[in-house]
Amino acid sequence: MNITQLLFWLLTVIAIGSALMIVTSKNPVYSVLGLIVTFFAISGHYILMNAQFLAIVNIIVYAGAIMVLFLFVIMLMNLSRATETLKNKWLQIVGAIAGSCLFLVLIAALKNTEIKKNLVEMGTGDIGLVKSLGRELFTTFVVPFEISSVLFLSAMIGAVVIGKKE
Amino acid sequence: MVNLAIQTNLDTSGSYLPIGLQLLFAAGMIVTLMGVTHLLGPKRRTADKLQNFASGIESHGEARQPIAIKYFLTAILFVLFDVEVIFFYPYAVNFRELGWSGFYAVLLFVAFFLCGFIYIIRRGALKWED
Amino acid sequence: MNAVLLSGLLGVVMMFASFLFRTKAPVRILAILGMAVLLVANVLDTKGIHFFHVNTTGFLSFTGYALFFNTIVIACTLIFFLISSKDMQKVGNHYAEYFALIFFILTGIFLVTAFTNLLILFIGIEIISIPLYILTGSAKKDLKSNEAALKYFLMGAFSTGVMLMGIALIYGATGTFDITKMNIAGLLKSNLLTAGMLMLLFSMCFKVSIAPFHFWTPDVYDGAPNVFTSFMATIVKVGIFVGFLHLFYTAFDAIALQWKIWMAVLAALTLLVGNITAVFQQSVKRMLAYSSISQAGFMLFALVAMNETAHEGLLLYAIAYCLATIGVFGIISKMTDYSFDGFNGLAGHQPLVALCVAIFMLSLAGIPLSAGFLAKFYMLKAVIQAGGYMWLVIFGVLMAAVSAYYYFRVIQAMYFKEGPNHFSGISAFEKCVLVGICVLIVFTGLFPNIIFGWMYF
Repeated sequence: MNITQLLFWLLTVIAIGSALMIVTSKNPVYSVLGLIVTFFAISGHYILMNAQFLAIVNIIVYAGAIMVLFLFVIMLMNLSRATETLKNKWLQIVGAIAGSCLFLVLIAALKNTEIKKNLVEMGTGDIGLVKSLGRELFTTFVVPFEISSVLFLSAMIGAVVIGKKE
Repeated sequence: MVNLAIQTNLDTSGSYLPIGLQLLFAAGMIVTLMGVTHLLGPKRRTADKLQNFASGIESHGEARQPIAIKYFLTAILFVLFDVEVIFFYPYAVNFRELGWSGFYAVLLFVAFFLCGFIYIIRRGALKWED
Repeated sequence: MNAVLLSGLLGVVMMFASFLFRTKAPVRILAILGMAVLLVANVLDTKGIHFFHVNTTGFLSFTGYALFFNTIVIACTLIFFLISSKDMQKVGNHYAEYFALIFFILTGIFLVTAFTNLLILFIGIEIISIPLYILTGSAKKDLKSNEAALKYFLMGAFSTGVMLMGIALIYGATGTFDITKMNIAGLLKSNLLTAGMLMLLFSMCFKVSIAPFHFWTPDVYDGAPNVFTSFMATIVKVGIFVGFLHLFYTAFDAIALQWKIWMAVLAALTLLVGNITAVFQQSVKRMLAYSSISQAGFMLFALVAMNETAHEGLLLYAIAYCLATIGVFGIISKMTDYSFDGFNGLAGHQPLVALCVAIFMLSLAGIPLSAGFLAKFYMLKAVIQAGGYMWLVIFGVLMAAVSAYYYFRVIQAMYFKEGPNHFSGISAFEKCVLVGICVLIVFTGLFPNIIFGWMYF
């Protein structure tokens, strides 16, 4: 096992562990902290796959900006009134079964793929680099790129419609 | 002797090694400092010391008050423009190569955002009212 | 391409209108004019006159079918504006923004009907969904609206996640996002492809509220402000349906054997759940929510049949279902009581309005001479032509008979019962629009060939 594989497994354990912490933790602040750790671990994965732009964007937008939003949401909620929501036991069991089914299906789907032999992509494959990604984004993928600005505009309107005091 | 010469090719993940080392060093530093202070420092737990620190006055009330929505409004608008700025980065790297067609693409994108910005300003979404 | 760009620009214009005009009347007129311009632009696009020459680099292809469907969507939205735009004022203070969001949703619908790339499908679905979450929650003081928006947002975001996962798996299996270049026939046994396709199927089913992915529908349609329920139950739903059909027709036809039987089962289940639950409703608005589920079941027949008749049938269904439901909601938003009892004796107080409601209900139930009958007929015919699903056809007819019960309940309440007036009044212009919708419904029911003649012109 060489160093990159070691790193891969280390990051994987961190990502899955902190993702589990998000779901299981009772305190929402711990969940958010877990989410931050997950984002960093996944950024590490991106770097191992030589997807440098994604890694940076993941840190700046997700770990930076989206996390702030999450914290604001927690601050908007009234946490002091410890209102544990009613949990239906049957619902939990059904959810667990459904989740494991999905998990099985995904494992079955990914079982026969070639990824197993090629865990990390160090130095090879340059599509994730900022330069080549930018070239693709502004030539081949320019149509979806422009269209996405409509999405941003509707999000802005949404923020004003929902968030602005009347 | 390990060869730690600076890599000239920045296009591989290996060039992130220094950053990784730095992260590791920073985390290790914090863990060591905190661990050592806990181990070495004296511990005297009195009722007064275990109270929340509130700048010297008696602590009262709850820290977890719901905040006003206007903070959230500003934050979510920040995220939107943050994402916009991110897209300048790959454009800037390819600025010369993409030429005029790339410039028009970015111009259109920014024009849409500018419309959104004017809208936000005129609707007073950034006005800090009570 | 005319319509996509123009609707995006009109959305921006409406955004600016929110602070340029002090009063609401100019905003409304601007929106209606904008929609009319959009209609003209799209018709010109159908005739080969393009305003913008954009190289879409293989992401979009506007076929005649897509363009004609877009024309229907725009025309229905125009009618929706004419009849309901005044009622939007009651929702909240952001009048112009609502129009802007609707224009953006139309952009999304145009993308979803004309995509050739899964990325565009995703962006289109998102452009439709996000404004809808906002419109659902736009009545901020109404707790039911808030709850509906939150529920819709959480479930919708989750289903979008499922869709993305599906797209990623399909990309893994085929190596392309382009649905025309996937070459799926060579991947019959690929688990990756099957899993991805199933995920796409589930998320699309969620978006058009096919059972068992329909649980959000009644609450959201009931909680959202009336005018927006009208919009999202009709225009948005048929828009996504065309994308759904387009996706499976173009991309996954080669492996149709794998999924067709499940599509038939989903259609049957949707019909069953929608119709049986609708029978027990006490509120007309909630009944219409369930009826929209059962109508979605009929529209899913198009995906079981997957032939030319199915494509024509979906067009007819879009016209029939949109017109009738927009009309009914236009009247409901002028009522003070949405229950069946609220309609008691409406024929005595408002004979013309009651007559219109009766025609809408008859069309929804699929009574001959109405557009609804013809639409259902085409769907059944398509499945018979495709062959092999006779049980579904018989079940569909049976369920259409069940649906007649709750549609006729409204007619019965209006004509054979007495009650106080719960109708808050209607302007002469809106009455004209209502009559116009009725005429269109009957006209489509009598002369469908004229509509197809336009399409293949």
